Amino acid sequence: MLTSLLVWLEETPLSVWIREYPSVLGFPFILFLHTLGLAMLAAISVGIDVWLLRQHVIGRALRMTGVIRVMWLGLGINALSGLALLIAYPAKALTNPVFYLKLLLVVLGVYAAQRINREVFPRGLAVTGAVTVATKRWAMLSIVVWAGAVVTGRLLAYTQSVLFAYELL
Amino acid sequence: MNLPDVIHWLTHTPVNSIVMGYRWVWPISESLHFCGLAMMVGTVGLFDLRLLGLAKGIAPAALHYSLRVGIAGFAISVITGSLFIFGQPDQYFYNDAFKLKVVALTLLGINVLAFYTLEARRVLRLGPEDEAPVRAKWIAAISLSLLTLIMLFGRMLTFYRP
Repeated sequence: MLTSLLVWLEETPLSVWIREYPSVLGFPFILFLHTLGLAMLAAISVGIDVWLLRQHVIGRALRMTGVIRVMWLGLGINALSGLALLIAYPAKALTNPVFYLKLLLVVLGVYAAQRINREVFPRGLAVTGAVTVATKRWAMLSIVVWAGAVVTGRLLAYTQSVLFAYELL
Repeated sequence: MNLPDVIHWLTHTPVNSIVMGYRWVWPISESLHFCGLAMMVGTVGLFDLRLLGLAKGIAPAALHYSLRVGIAGFAISVITGSLFIFGQPDQYFYNDAFKLKVVALTLLGINVLAFYTLEARRVLRLGPEDEAPVRAKWIAAISLSLLTLIMLFGRMLTFYRP
C-alpha cells in the first residue's frame, strides 16, 4: 500500500520535473534554497545562542522582530524546499531512519528557538534582567540540536537503502 | 607545474589515500563542512543584520565577540573543503561553480579587510541603540550577499561536475 503510494508519487509530473528538469534552476536550486533556509533559521539561531551564552544581563530593550522574521522566513523556505526534495525522492527519504531523526531534531531546534525567543525576546523586545541559567541551557541545547540536524541532513545522502520506490516491489 | 601536474600530485598524497580510502571520511567531512558554514553564517550574519538595523539594542561590539565562533567555523570549512580537493581534485579544478565559489570567498575576504580597515573602529564604539554608518551598512549587505553566493555556488558544485 505504502509502496504503491510512493511509486505513484514518484511518477507524478511534479516529482519527475523536480528530479529531471535539465537546468540549474531545478533540483540544484531547490537544494540551494534548502541550504539558504538552514542559514536563515539554524545558523542565525546558533548566532543568537552563542551571543546569549556570553550575556549575563540584558539591560536594554532589544528589537529582535526583524531577526526573528528572518528565522521564520528561513523555516518557511526550508519546509517548502524540503517538501519539494521529498516529492522528488520520497522512497529515498521515507525508508531511511536518519530522515526521521533529522525531522525530530529540526522540530526540537524550532521549539528551542521559539522558547528562547518567547522567554528572552517576547514580541521582539528583550526581557530586561539577568539571562537565566535555564535560558543558557536552552541556548546550549539549541546549538547541539542544530548541529545534529545539520549532520543528519548531510548523512541522508549516504545512508539511503533505496533511491526509488520500485526497488521495494 | 601546470594544473594536470597539480592534480596528479594531489591524487598521490597520503591525504588523498585517507579521504578516498575510508568510506566515512567524506560524509563526516561534509557534515563538519556544513556545521562550520552554519557557525560562520550564524555569527557573521547576525553581526551583519545588526549593522543593517535589525537587532537594535545590542552593541555591535557584543556581537563582534561571537565572530570568534565564526572564524572557528570558517577554519573547519577550509580544512574539510581542502580534504575534498585532495580527494577529488579534478572534480573541483575543472568545475565552474568551484571557480565562482573561490571568487566569492576572495571577495568576502576583501570585504572583511575593507570592514577592518575602514569601519571597524567606528562600529565597535557604537552603543546598543546607535545606527551604523552607511558605509558599514553597505559592507554588511555585501557580506550577506557574498555568503549567499558562496552557499549557491557550493550547492551547484554537483551540477557542474565535469
